[in-house]
Amino acid sequence: MTRQRWSVPMTVVFILIGILLSLQFQAQNRFASDLSMQRTENLIAMVRDLSEKRQKLAIELIDLNSKLRAQAESDRDEKKLVESLKEELTKMKMVNGTIELRGPGLQILIEKHLPILYIDIIHIVNELWAAGAEAISVNDCRITSSTAIFYTEDSHSMSITVDNIKLEYPIIIRAIGEPNNLEKGLTIPGGIMDNLALFNAYPLLTKVDEQTIPAVHELPHFYFASEYKPLEKPAASNTQPAARP
Amino acid sequence: MWLLPVLGLIIGVLIGSALTFQVPVTYVKYMSIAVLASLDSVFGGIRAIMEDLFDGTVLLTGFFTNALLAALLAYLGDRLGVDLYYAAVFAFGVRLFQNLAGIRHKLLLNYRNKKYHSRGEQP
Repeated sequence: MTRQRWSVPMTVVFILIGILLSLQFQAQNRFASDLSMQRTENLIAMVRDLSEKRQKLAIELIDLNSKLRAQAESDRDEKKLVESLKEELTKMKMVNGTIELRGPGLQILIEKHLPILYIDIIHIVNELWAAGAEAISVNDCRITSSTAIFYTEDSHSMSITVDNIKLEYPIIIRAIGEPNNLEKGLTIPGGIMDNLALFNAYPLLTKVDEQTIPAVHELPHFYFASEYKPLEKPAASNTQPAARP
Repeated sequence: MWLLPVLGLIIGVLIGSALTFQVPVTYVKYMSIAVLASLDSVFGGIRAIMEDLFDGTVLLTGFFTNALLAALLAYLGDRLGVDLYYAAVFAFGVRLFQNLAGIRHKLLLNYRNKKYHSRGEQP
């Protein structure tokens, strides 16, 4: 049984060599992939590869950054647009009298005993507009493009109306604008105040630094009017129109 | 006949791959020398079996001492600034090939003997 004699130690040795071989194989793999063990040419190639990659990535980074900036800019543009639209809207509201306004200007006080007709109120308002008033109210009525100033009579008295609302005395006309300009517009020689003075009517003018002018009570309704959009002319076709005989 | 050692080799490889133990990169060089020495021992053992000179003690002691000494010498050489590593590689390499050649010779002889026996001739 010589075989029995050699097969056991041989097997042990083979097990050991198997362990050693696989360990060494793994270690060598790690060793070979270790940077410090690489050949110089390989290292140079690696460095070149990596720097190329890095350059590409840097370019990409620049690209993405510029995209980001563009995006941010467009975002800002949008914000600007919204901002300007809001401003526009506010302006429109101011013009149409749908919001309360405040600012410096002029107050005209008309007492009950003064001989003032509705036409005088109209004149005063017109004069104020001409003098650069930005917003005007009579008592609590905001003067807009559709305001009607008129008068109404009943059995024993006559009263001035604004939009069919009777004006209570004292009538206070408020105008926002440059106070001096507004005052001069009224007190100009031969102007409205002189005219009224002929009838012994002396409205009281006061310049104010701060006053509020109310909004209109109700918005105008448009039942018939709608926006007019001119029809776009069809694009000129490049075919020559047929010559008429 | 050779089934057990081959099984042993497979088991060894499996154990080695299953081990999470990692040889530090610094010692890989010495480990390789140890592996070379062990391989030489193994082939020496096979040759001894062929030539009916096998001794289990010699094989096992040779296996360990050769491997350890080779690794130690390579390490020492590195410390001393002498490249004993190459000396070890050379020595064990040469011996390994000699052993392989011996194994081949024995295999050829056995084969021829078998042929003669089958023809009924005497060598």
